[in-house]
Amino acid sequence: MTTPTATAPDRTVSLREVGPARRGTRPDEVVIALSPAFAGHFSKTIVDVPHAEVLRQLLAGIEEQGVTARLVRVIDTADLAAISHTAARLSGSGISVGVLSRGTTMIHQKDLPRLSNLELFPQSPLLDAPVFRMIGSNAAQYAKGEHPQPVPTRNDQMARPRWQAKAALLHLKEFDCIEAGRDPVEVEAVFSRGTTG
Amino acid sequence: MTTAPRPTTAAPRQSLRTEILEARPVNLDGFVEEWPEKGLVAMESEFDPAPSVRVEGGQIVELDGRSRDDFDFMDTFIANHAIDVESAERCTAMPSAQIARMLIDPGVSRDEVLAVSRGLTPAKVLDVVKLMNVVEIMQGMQKMRARRTPANQGHSTSARDNPIQVAADAAEGALRGFAELETTLGVLRYAPMVAIALQVGAQVGRGGVLTQCALEEATELELGMRGITAYAETISIYGTESVFIDGDDTPWSKSFLAAAYASRGIKMRFTSGTGSEVQMGNAEGKSMLYLEIRCILMAKGAGVQGLQNGSISCIGVPGAVPGGLRAVAAENLVASMVDLECASGNDQSFSHSAMRRTARAMPQMLPGTDFVCSGYSSVPNADNMFAGSNFDTEDFDDWNTIQRDFQVDGGLRHVREDEILAARNKAARALQAVFAHLELPPITEDEIEAATYANSSNDYPLRDVLADLKGAQSVMDRGITGLDLVKGLESAGFHDVAENLLTVLRQRVSGDLLQTSAVLTGDFTPLSAINDPNDYAGPGTGYRLQGERWEQLKKLRHVTSSTNPETEVG
Amino acid sequence: MSASPPPELTTADYPLSINRPELLHTPSGKPITALTMDAVVSGELSAEDLRIAPETLQLQAQLADASNRPQLAANFRRAAEMTAIPDDEVLAMYNALRPRASTAAQLAELAARLEGTYGAPVCAALVREAAEVYARRDLLARPVADSDQ
Repeated sequence: MTTPTATAPDRTVSLREVGPARRGTRPDEVVIALSPAFAGHFSKTIVDVPHAEVLRQLLAGIEEQGVTARLVRVIDTADLAAISHTAARLSGSGISVGVLSRGTTMIHQKDLPRLSNLELFPQSPLLDAPVFRMIGSNAAQYAKGEHPQPVPTRNDQMARPRWQAKAALLHLKEFDCIEAGRDPVEVEAVFSRGTTG
Repeated sequence: MTTAPRPTTAAPRQSLRTEILEARPVNLDGFVEEWPEKGLVAMESEFDPAPSVRVEGGQIVELDGRSRDDFDFMDTFIANHAIDVESAERCTAMPSAQIARMLIDPGVSRDEVLAVSRGLTPAKVLDVVKLMNVVEIMQGMQKMRARRTPANQGHSTSARDNPIQVAADAAEGALRGFAELETTLGVLRYAPMVAIALQVGAQVGRGGVLTQCALEEATELELGMRGITAYAETISIYGTESVFIDGDDTPWSKSFLAAAYASRGIKMRFTSGTGSEVQMGNAEGKSMLYLEIRCILMAKGAGVQGLQNGSISCIGVPGAVPGGLRAVAAENLVASMVDLECASGNDQSFSHSAMRRTARAMPQMLPGTDFVCSGYSSVPNADNMFAGSNFDTEDFDDWNTIQRDFQVDGGLRHVREDEILAARNKAARALQAVFAHLELPPITEDEIEAATYANSSNDYPLRDVLADLKGAQSVMDRGITGLDLVKGLESAGFHDVAENLLTVLRQRVSGDLLQTSAVLTGDFTPLSAINDPNDYAGPGTGYRLQGERWEQLKKLRHVTSSTNPETEVG
Repeated sequence: MSASPPPELTTADYPLSINRPELLHTPSGKPITALTMDAVVSGELSAEDLRIAPETLQLQAQLADASNRPQLAANFRRAAEMTAIPDDEVLAMYNALRPRASTAAQLAELAARLEGTYGAPVCAALVREAAEVYARRDLLARPVADSDQ
């Protein structure tokens, strides 16, 4: 089986904190919640998709549905359900997308139980740029009150031998970046050309 | 820096040999460095506790450096239920090297080892097996396996949850030698139909094969209580309190569940394995094997007869760290050395490398375990709904050849094509009769033809899934039981299959299959650690592959006749 | 329940289905030898007849003790008690033992019900032990409902 390769443009992203995350009022927004080490301690997913590309695709997917996106960073947990649910409750539409540094992603809705979700993409090694774009698009459609077809999930039996241990390692590192007791913060994505040469 | 950017991927030149090595499948596998502080380490960690035990007033008040007030719930459960209080201080004080020697010394019987192991703390058990290399671990396994006769367990699933496929593959798997067959679903609502198919197919292939359907607890228990399945195994336990709680259970809730299964006469074992805690980020800084030993002792304390372990679905984690497979072999040994049935892993996709896949199984296959695989895929891996196994149908002939090469019994055998076709066809027909009897969506002649010759789910006509799901629901609503299957088989003239299934159901009333390591032989004799105890005592003793069984395993698909080398025997 | 005291079994009696079938009865009192195909076809047997009887679990507990497996024997003794509890209630009791599913009072009530209604003192002891540990490890349900969201 093949795994997606990073063919993304050579860009990097950093997240600039602009203040405490607040509850949105616009019904046409999706909140994207990023994990403690996203675009910070780490710069790419488990299969080397740059975090800049992850964000660019999610934002594009949301915007092409005519919905606005807002970014927050959740700092006090690395639990994807908790991150996503926190963001859903901040979202004016009640819809959020939570993303871990290694790429694992979830679409959540504020009225669902925390351990439930609208769509879950647990196999981080199988998430590439087109999938992130579809996730953004679906989240935006939920925000508009539509019922999109779920993003097709992929399966790869050989993902376990290749990625399971690295995923565990990335998970442990993300845990290390948790700052207990810190509330979510609103962030701005600052994209820049990569520094090569 | 001043020139226009060029797509410079100017990597240093590689040798042609390196290019070949880079392309080898093993380099698709993931490997990581150890991180002992976080528990990302197989079995050698300075953060594991030192063994200690103190007994006061008939109660263990100190365990591996912790006093009772500081016990987490695993410590408490193990201290209260798993460790023999009478012998704990004496056994834990024995030099670890002495206990390790007892494990491999053919002059020391299995019972003599058990008299010591029942008084050991988790850290002490770890201290003992840490002294053993992988050959010594295998020697220990050869003696400590509970049942004298080794066996194997198969997965029989379908990517389309096609019950006809499951029945035909179960019949073939049973014929090839699996003593237990397990299924699970893509669409959970299909469960009753597929569980019925598994049971019927298995009893066609070989009377007495035990079946299970892995589901959430309530449905799994219900199918068992109705006699549609015969045993259960996916009852997960974990080595740290926090991960156990994340799984929404405690040692007491799982113990209660263990008794619930026994109260309905259903064989059951727990499941655990190295790597699950660190994978969930809560290893509390302990090595994978130390935490797994805690699981094993918890299972022992619960009074469950056996355990499926050997990392199981987390095999990619120990598989990626140094010494990981030594730890996996050791965890199987520990289950056996505390007298539990051990279904020893080799049941999940493990490596891109055929060489590594084979090597992974040797510490279980060569000494023999109660179930060498706790799920050899008896369907193509693409149809394996447990996310793929270490071995599948394509490996049957390799497995049989390895058994013959080393004269070891891995539980399977080569079966002639005509026998396989007959069993598959009969299984599909028997299921057709049962579905008709139960007024479930019919099975067509085209489907029977397909089942006879098929390899994978792609080779079958598509079912009307919605009709099947309605049928599955009606099986639950109408309270269909194993007895209804017997009636359907009998009335359609499948007397032998009906009799096989009735005999399996009758076993439930006797409770014989609840004893440690119990399976049913082809003549329906319950074979367990009581009447088939492992009596290994050195060369020439214990289970030996000989006689009729060895003659069976000498057969392969292609063997040149010595009488007439222009022909093959078969 | 049964009038005569249970026999003293040794490991040589295993398997009971072959060596001591005369000791085996269904919960409805039929001998195991009555579970024949004729009886199935004639409709004399119901699913109830294919359940294990508490006396049989006590016999298997003896065999487990005789083969030096005290924990397994204890499990069989809890199981013997549980044969009296309906399927749904067994599952409900299991769910009540999950982490933070029950208050101390609810677990005490459960233990009392096991002991009183079902004559299940061994199961009750397990629940009481759990209640004590859950209290110490913060695993009891909080009396007030979680106000989160």
